[in-house]
Order: sequence, then structure tokens, then C-alpha cells
Amino acid sequence: MIENRPWLTFVGHATLWLGVALVALPVWMALVASTHPASAFGVGHIPLWFGDAGVETWKSVLLEEAGNGIESSVTFMMLNSLVMALGITFGKIAISLLSAYAIVFFRFPFRNFCFWIIFMTLMLPVEVRIVPTYEVVANLGLLNSFTGLTLPLIASATATFLFRQCFLSIPSELVEAARIDGAGPFRFFFDILLPLTRTNIAALFVILFIYGWNQYLWPLIITTDNAYYTLVMSIKRMLSVTDGDIEWNRIMATTLLAMLPPVAVVIGMQKLFVKGLVDAEK
Amino acid sequence: MTDVILENVGKTYPNGYHAIPSVDLSIEEGEFIVLVGPSGCGKSTLLRMVAGLESITQGELRIRDERMNDKEPAERDIAMVFQNYALYPHMTVYNNMAYGLKNRGVGKTDIEEKVSNVADMLGLTELLQRKPGQLSGGQRQRVAMGRAMVRDPKVFLFDEPLSNLDAKLRVQMRIEIRQLQRKLGTTTLYVTHDQVEAMTLADRLVVLNKGKAEQIGTPMDLYDKPATPFVASFIGSPSMNLLPANLVEQGIKLSETLILPLSHAHRGGVVWGIRPEHLEVSDEQNADFALRVQAVESLGAETLIHGALEDQSGRITSLVIRLSGPHLPEIDSLIWLIAPTKHWHVFDAITQQRL
Repeated sequence: MIENRPWLTFVGHATLWLGVALVALPVWMALVASTHPASAFGVGHIPLWFGDAGVETWKSVLLEEAGNGIESSVTFMMLNSLVMALGITFGKIAISLLSAYAIVFFRFPFRNFCFWIIFMTLMLPVEVRIVPTYEVVANLGLLNSFTGLTLPLIASATATFLFRQCFLSIPSELVEAARIDGAGPFRFFFDILLPLTRTNIAALFVILFIYGWNQYLWPLIITTDNAYYTLVMSIKRMLSVTDGDIEWNRIMATTLLAMLPPVAVVIGMQKLFVKGLVDAEK
Repeated sequence: MTDVILENVGKTYPNGYHAIPSVDLSIEEGEFIVLVGPSGCGKSTLLRMVAGLESITQGELRIRDERMNDKEPAERDIAMVFQNYALYPHMTVYNNMAYGLKNRGVGKTDIEEKVSNVADMLGLTELLQRKPGQLSGGQRQRVAMGRAMVRDPKVFLFDEPLSNLDAKLRVQMRIEIRQLQRKLGTTTLYVTHDQVEAMTLADRLVVLNKGKAEQIGTPMDLYDKPATPFVASFIGSPSMNLLPANLVEQGIKLSETLILPLSHAHRGGVVWGIRPEHLEVSDEQNADFALRVQAVESLGAETLIHGALEDQSGRITSLVIRLSGPHLPEIDSLIWLIAPTKHWHVFDAITQQRL
């Protein structure tokens, strides 16, 4: 349907621009705020244009300790976050691929039962089972470790379900052709299945990376050691100052840094991501 | 030398469904066998049992004197071409053909040589670096065949490989498959529901009905001497006219007033059949019966006339005749016909066997 109504076009564009402004304004304000000295915020107005303390603030954020009881720098915490996010993402993808592979292509007793059990864990995200999960992790001696940060978050019903649907859409003749061509379970998995689900894996990677990166509650509870603090949970800690001023400039710079990796992942994998959602190569 | 032997082979599904009661078939080396039948007759199941994709629940399958019942498909030294080709969509044509060899541990230079030989034979050399998505239906079909040929297996299995192609391409590929098979001399089992395909390709045909082999024989055997009314109606297009009748002392009694003379010891209910192309037009005196024209299909080289048997008893029996060249009889006019005795097919109505 193509309509040519100038008025409608104008309203449409105006709405879009308004939306962009609405979403971008806080980011802009964070960026501007990070360039003013900490004292600029005490007076009660919010600056809307760059100040002159930018270099200084960013330098201190990137290189010095985050302060307020956190002994590691923001850069270091970004690395922690990255390790955790990637650990969760790769772990989730690997384990979901394997469980979906087992459920779809192998005949074993209680196959459907297993699937539904996995599916039911959808109702049990970390927040719901946080106390028992904490106890298990504590008993295993995994507090303050990357294993403890990632492992309890790795099991994923969503990803298993997605891969299951994806595998089910692979024509059975393809599986049979591979069997006749002498491809065993491993060869079939690596030579046929993985390449065919490449775009789905990419799409899931984006979603899961953001999920892992944004983890707040779980790292907050199980880490007490500076060496394992992640960025997202630390922002809150930087805010809770008991006496003295909140260093808004540094906090704003930190939030911007916390936004960067997810943005980079989305932009970097956008092509594959969209392909994974719309493409039917099979 | 006998290449493939099916001995009392049957299939019962776990839910108790008896898909194939029992089939016996021995295939000579280099023979082209076509399994033909209507959909749901078990022909694909039988083929998949030979391939090892379905288990054999009864009887024995031997390829070159080796029992194959419990062997994996890859160990049977067979190659299969699927109806939808089942090419690996993410691999190039070259890799599609090479994959089976790679898995069998064939050396790289060997693979290259074999693939390029087959590609040459099928005219695929220029397409080797393309992916299946960039090929036309006919080309994909060729790649699927190439993938089967490159391994030089003992047996080719084709599962309705031409049914996704348009009519013209189908005829062309049919001829090509036949020529290739002759050249390679590989024993072939081919499944189709298209009787024209079956007749033109086969050395021997197996007509399957409800999982049973109704008749096994050369195409002309089946055309000239169908063993059952089912085979008679399945082979030949348009299919044979089959009329329920009674064999009485005077001959075959098609109705109260219509009796075709025949001397035969048998008495009782029969099915009388004659192919549309064997009915001859004649004048009123010599005619066996008359046909009231209902519809005419002019195909240029031949004309099909559908009509009802003109009969005093009021019963309506439809009949088709096939005449060469153009004819334009009026609708509702009468055509006088002779049914030459040598072209009759008479089957017992109860046992369904040829008399």
C-alpha cells in the first residue's frame, strides 16, 4: 500500500524523531554529565552541554579504583562482566544445543518427559530459586568464583526450546541422507546441524549476552571479593554513599561503559541476528 | 549373478499396523527394478527397508549374499536419491558430492578425481562451487544423482526422484537416468507412482498393492498379461475397461441382454477387461456392442471417447475407447464396437486371479 499524503508523512516522521529524542536524551545527558566536575551537580540543575572535566573523569574511571569500598577499577570490573556474560552465553548455547539434539534426534525412554521437565524450568528463573541456589553454590564452595557466577545461570529452557524447534524443521530426508553418507552422530552434529543453525545461534548469542551482561541480583549475592565484582552490580554500590557527595560524573561515565558491550554485540551481529529471525535456508 | 534378494520381507509397525505382509524378490546384477503402486501401497517403505532407514521386522534382505537386516545404511553400500533431493543446503555442490567419500576416509586427491568424473558425466562441472539454493530443480536433481553415483555403490535406490520436476524435464531426466544406469550397470531399485515412468524405465516391474506384490514381470508382460484386475487397471493409460460379468454356458454375460460368446470350463462371477486401444470401431452388423458417447477428449494424435455401454437392461456401465488420429463423434450418438477375443482379459471375481 503506497499512499502519498504529505501531512501523514510529516506526522509519522515527527513521531519517529520524538521517539529517538526520548530514548537518546538520557544517554546524551549521561555523556554530558561525565564531562563536568563532581561539584557541578550539587547546585540542582542538570547540565545539557559538555563541561571541561571530561578527560580527567574518564581517566580516573578507567584507571583508578571505583571507590566507595570497591577496590578494583571499572576496566577490571568490565572484564569480570565480560567473562561472566560470555561464560553464561557460551554455556547456555552449548548445553541447549546438546539437550535439543538429544531430544529431537535420539530415541530414549521418557524423551518427551525430559523435554517437559526442561520446559517447566522456564517458570523458575534465578530470582525465584535464589535462596536454594545460593545454598547449593555455597555448599559447593563456589562463592566468589567465576564458576559460581556462571554455572547456576547456564541451564536454559528457552534456548533448548528454540533449538528444538529449529532442529524439528530440518527435513528428515536430510538426516537420512547423512546417515547413508556415513555420518555418525558427531559428524552429523558438527557437519550438518551446526552450520544449519548458525543464524539461530547468532540470534541467541545476542539475546543471551545481554541477559548475562545485565545480571544484577545473582552477582550481588554471591560475590564478596573485589576480584569478582561485575560492573552492573557495582554501579549501585557506587551510588550508595553514606556521607559526602555522589560522584555523578564518574557514575555516568561508568553507566556509559556498561552500555557499550551490549551495543557492540547488537551492532556487530545485527546482520546474522536478523537473518536468524527471518531466514529459512533449509 | 543375483545381487539383491528379498526373502519373505515384511514390516509390522510397533502399533501393530501391517504395512508389508511379505515380499519375495530377487534382483539380478545390473537390473533396473521399478516398484510401482498407488500412494500408501508400501513401495517407499519397502525401499527404505532396503536402504536401512526402516527396520525389517520379518524375513531377510541379502545384498551380494550378505545378510543386511541389521546393518546401518552406511554399511550396506547403497546410495539413495530422495524425492526432495535432500542436498545439504550449506555445502557447495562439490562438498555435497564429496561428503560421503570424506566420511569413508577416501583420500583428498581420490575424492577430487571421482567428483570431477561424475560432474563431467552429469554436466555439473561449472556448478561445483555453487550452493543448492542457487540451482534449478533439474540441476538439483542431477546433483542428488551425482552424490549417489560418486560412491560407486552396489545398489542405487531412487525414491520418486522425478515427481518434483515439471513434465518436460521429467521426460528428459527419465531418459537420462535410464542411459546412465545402462552405462554404469549398477543394480537399481526405483520407486514411482507414475505408471509411464515405470513402464519406460524398468527391466522388471513390481506392482505393489497394500504391501503385497501383485505381479512381478517385464513391462510388456504386465501389459499383455496382467495377473489381477488391479494390475490391469494400474498399467496402461487410460486404464483398462473392467466390467463385472458372469461366465455362463454361452459366454461372458455382461448384462441380461449382452452376452459375448466364449467357450470356457469356468462358471461364475468374473471381471471382464479390455484395453481402450483394443476396441475397434465397426458397423452395426458385426459389432459386439454399442457405446453411447458421453465425452470426447481430442489429443491430436489420438482421441479418447468416454461413453456408456448401450444396454437394454438400463444398467449404466462406462467404457473408454482410444482411437488413433482425430475423431469427432457427436455427443449422445452411438458407436458400434468390436472387442477382439484375443485382447480379452478375464479374472475371477472372487480370487481376483487371471483365468
